[in-house]
Amino acid sequence: MRQGMAWYVCKRLLQGVVTVWFIATATFFAMHNVPGDPLLNDRAMTPAIRANLEARYGLDQPLFNQYLIYLGNLAQGDFGISFTQENRQVNDIIREHFPVSATLGILAVLFAAAGGVLWGALTALYRNRMPDYVIMFLVILGISVPSFVVAALSQLGLVTLNTLVGRSLLPVAGWGSVFHMLTPALVLGLSTMAYLTRLMRSSMLEIIDSDFVRTAKSKGVPPALIFSRHQLRNAILPVVTVLGPQIAVITTGGFVVELVFAIPGLGRFFVEAVQQLDYTVIMGTTVFYGAFLVFMVIVVDLLYGFIDPRVRLQ
Amino acid sequence: MTAAPLLQVEDLHVEFATHGGTVRAVRGVDFSVDSNRTLAIVGESGCGKSVSVQSIMGLIPVPPGRIGPGSALLRGQEILGNNVVNGRDVRGSEIGMIFQDPMTSLNPTMTIGAQIAEPLQVHRGYGAGRAREEAIRLLESCRIPEARKRAGQYPFEFSGGMLQRAMIAMAISCKPALLIADEPTTALDVTIQSQILDLMRDLQRETGMAIILITHDLGVVARMADEVLVMYAGEVVEKGGVDDVFYRSAHPYTLGLKAAMPSNRDDSAQVLTPIDGSPPDLFAPPGGCGYFARCPYAMQACEDNHPESFDLHADHFARCWLHHEDCDVEATDVHRTTASE
Amino acid sequence: MSYGAADFLPVSGQRDVHGISRPSLSYLQDAWLRLKANRRALASLYLVLGLLFFTIAGPWIWRVDSAVQDLDQISQPPGVDRAALIVPDYQSWDGAGEAGPLHVVGDATSQSVRLKWDALPGANGHRVYRNIFPVGPELAYGMPLAEFFDNTILYHEDRLDLRPGRYFYSVVALGEDGAVTANYESLTVDVRRVTTLAEAVDRGLIENGDQLAVGDSIELQLHPLGTDYLGRDMLARLMAGARVSLFIGIVAPALFVLFGVVFGAAAGFIGGRVDQFMMRFADFVVALPFLLFMILFKIAFGIGPGESGVMPMLVAMVVLLWPATARLVRGQILQLREAAYVQASQLLGARTNYLVLRHMLPNTLGVVLVTLTFEIPKAIFVEAFLSFIGMGVAPPTPSWGSMSNEGIATMLTTPHELIFPALFISITVLAFNLLGDGLRDALDARMRNAG
Repeated sequence: MRQGMAWYVCKRLLQGVVTVWFIATATFFAMHNVPGDPLLNDRAMTPAIRANLEARYGLDQPLFNQYLIYLGNLAQGDFGISFTQENRQVNDIIREHFPVSATLGILAVLFAAAGGVLWGALTALYRNRMPDYVIMFLVILGISVPSFVVAALSQLGLVTLNTLVGRSLLPVAGWGSVFHMLTPALVLGLSTMAYLTRLMRSSMLEIIDSDFVRTAKSKGVPPALIFSRHQLRNAILPVVTVLGPQIAVITTGGFVVELVFAIPGLGRFFVEAVQQLDYTVIMGTTVFYGAFLVFMVIVVDLLYGFIDPRVRLQ
Repeated sequence: MTAAPLLQVEDLHVEFATHGGTVRAVRGVDFSVDSNRTLAIVGESGCGKSVSVQSIMGLIPVPPGRIGPGSALLRGQEILGNNVVNGRDVRGSEIGMIFQDPMTSLNPTMTIGAQIAEPLQVHRGYGAGRAREEAIRLLESCRIPEARKRAGQYPFEFSGGMLQRAMIAMAISCKPALLIADEPTTALDVTIQSQILDLMRDLQRETGMAIILITHDLGVVARMADEVLVMYAGEVVEKGGVDDVFYRSAHPYTLGLKAAMPSNRDDSAQVLTPIDGSPPDLFAPPGGCGYFARCPYAMQACEDNHPESFDLHADHFARCWLHHEDCDVEATDVHRTTASE
Repeated sequence: MSYGAADFLPVSGQRDVHGISRPSLSYLQDAWLRLKANRRALASLYLVLGLLFFTIAGPWIWRVDSAVQDLDQISQPPGVDRAALIVPDYQSWDGAGEAGPLHVVGDATSQSVRLKWDALPGANGHRVYRNIFPVGPELAYGMPLAEFFDNTILYHEDRLDLRPGRYFYSVVALGEDGAVTANYESLTVDVRRVTTLAEAVDRGLIENGDQLAVGDSIELQLHPLGTDYLGRDMLARLMAGARVSLFIGIVAPALFVLFGVVFGAAAGFIGGRVDQFMMRFADFVVALPFLLFMILFKIAFGIGPGESGVMPMLVAMVVLLWPATARLVRGQILQLREAAYVQASQLLGARTNYLVLRHMLPNTLGVVLVTLTFEIPKAIFVEAFLSFIGMGVAPPTPSWGSMSNEGIATMLTTPHELIFPALFISITVLAFNLLGDGLRDALDARMRNAG
């Protein structure tokens, strides 16, 4: 059984590597489709950068050779040099900015998962009563209002609040302390939280009427134990399965939140690179994000196996 | 009549409020069961047999369900609506229950052992280790091989028959005085059915518990029951000892059920006769006999007059106008002629 | 109650044993009844129809060009007073007027505000500020307008982008080194909207200058939802934006759901190795980080001058988003192939065409319709997201997302520029989500027998 688990992990990782290769290839050819010479960009005119790049990427060689060079560099974990910032490695950029995005993202995922499970369970237990209606109304709002609007409105709210109180309760923008993280993380996790609440609610409703909960009642198990041992654990399973894709939603949602809240994360850096057409940074970050998301999906799958014995043991 | 019966149910009513109106699922059901005895409740789907026992066990969600009027006395103590006697939940301790589909009736993310141990921890205050040892012993007593290993497994690793044994082990873990079995063999194949029924009977012999067996399989009834309750459209239409109900059937519906049952005995050439039509709409139960529209013996009186319960022999009742003193049609006679046509 | 022998005579004639059961309905009839019974879904259906009407018929009813700028009304919230007083053409000012503490010379109009003041005690010079908020204890003077390093010039004419409304002017004394001191004087000024005859003719408000005279009042152009930061009519832009947003929101899902249906049905129907290969390919496409690749594709396609950028977005969505539907439809087809009634039909000699058209497609239709309804709000979100980070449609083409992006810059002063497009996005997404919920409940066969 233990060996089966190890084999499963290996298989998933191998699949992950192949997927990352596919992402890298798609990225390479998509970027090579861009009209014009990437080096004829007026921002990349420093001769030093130009010479460095030509040698490094074999830009005078056929496309396929360039592709091989690119894959070789990637395999060594080298994403290249920025086209617009002299002598700046894409790796350094990622190393510097990704931890910020990751912190924000992890916090948002925690908010979303905890909130989604809590609110979802609550609405199911209070089905068709006041708390259910109120929470579900907020959930529909959370799903329907775009994240940048929520971000902007929460900033507006913070400004008003700080003015009303007469001092800065929570910072409106920027990065540094835990207090800087709270509002952006909440905003970032909000739509996922709303989605998870809905999912948790319907899965909990299914569980509430399920045969095994009836069995537990027929055993005289007290309601609190039925909730924690029988209902919650089983209702969480579908929530965990969508956590992988939702991490992707939160990661890309980070772009907007980082922009609005002026957070020096990789997402904001990526958006800036896109606006400046900084090819290596765009490609590097895309492949990096792709690999990260593939890895996260694997992690969540393994986590799911840990929670659900049916998956773990088969 | 000696002492009060173990469980006495009187005039039980259960309703459900739905978007379409109120479904009157159970309308005045009486029965009782004693230690060492087995009561079978038979009837087709939707006749209210499961709802009756689930209401006694407090398993009907309220709302949309509504229970009452009526009473269910366990050793003379009312359990309808609260299930608590002397500050203790009788469910799982005094009354154990097993369900139709063992595959879905067990928690998929808990080990079998933990689920069997749960009532012991809740009602007896056993510690985890002691409860686990007891669970293994219970599995053994329900004839599950390698009980120790099995106790650590999850429901999906069990077969249907094994799961139903585990369910029984769970239901009898606190040595209940009454075991309610809600179609315990319907989801199983025939050989397993037989083993499960044997197991239940042996356990009854060992512990002296009473059994309420809900089924629509008359073969199971004949094999297991001491008394039989025939339900139709939320009412008891016939009640009596197993021999009375089988050999001296007094209600046309019971006759219909028997005619619809396959048999390999003497008159095996007999054609299976289905009961035509479907039960009445319980949103608005008919004023007269619920079986009127489907009954081959229907009479003028049946359409608008709700039948009384007629006492036929000792402890044998039927709710049918055929047994009125002014009526001279004999149900069984008519049945024989129609069935052999 | 007593009964006689007559009561116990057999009932003659046919009794209708089936009469109690309810009338049967076809799948679609049943679904439609369920949808109609769901008030939320029905309301959202009307909302969707209303939005479509707004998008398609709106520009015929509200005939204002979404690209035309109304320079008199820039960032104008809805419902403000549009009256403008006609004044003579502008004459230059040399600072003439009475001396005294900070005061306005003549009328304060949107043409100009003429300020005059006495030198502040101990000042080596003055700096003039303007703010839209009161100065307050933290000495927020606002925007510096002019600076004078001697005490000879004690007047200033403000002609900088004046709008009707309240302004707070401050004159601050400068120290010896030219630094700002805390010594200041403040004045609250209510600016009135004015226009000249020439301007009124120019803007098309009147045909020629003879119709009105100086001192008359005139109504400026109507903008029911106000104007944006370039003075463009918000209502007209919202209608034009609706065309872009709903076009992408509806056409893109329609295309990729269609492609997904064909791909999934083919994979499910052919089965075997082909199926394996096709679904593995779909798995890879799913693994691509969607929004990153949307951006990548947008860059790769490039947007030429004069193009709106709608088409590249459409293509990128179709290329990236089909696999979810394909997986769903494949699963359905595999399930249906095993369904007893399909196998029965096959045994009776039904041909493939018949099987597909009669059994498979109708039975996947419900699922596909629900998917489509849920994909529409997602596509609208994607368009809004991309436009927000500047990777969506190219200006000046309006879309709700790009309008929100533009509105966010002026969120604190003129929130209507953000709120209206955001509201339209939210309402549209909400309507489609609720409609999707209703459709799913209505078409879900599992629900048919319950309650």
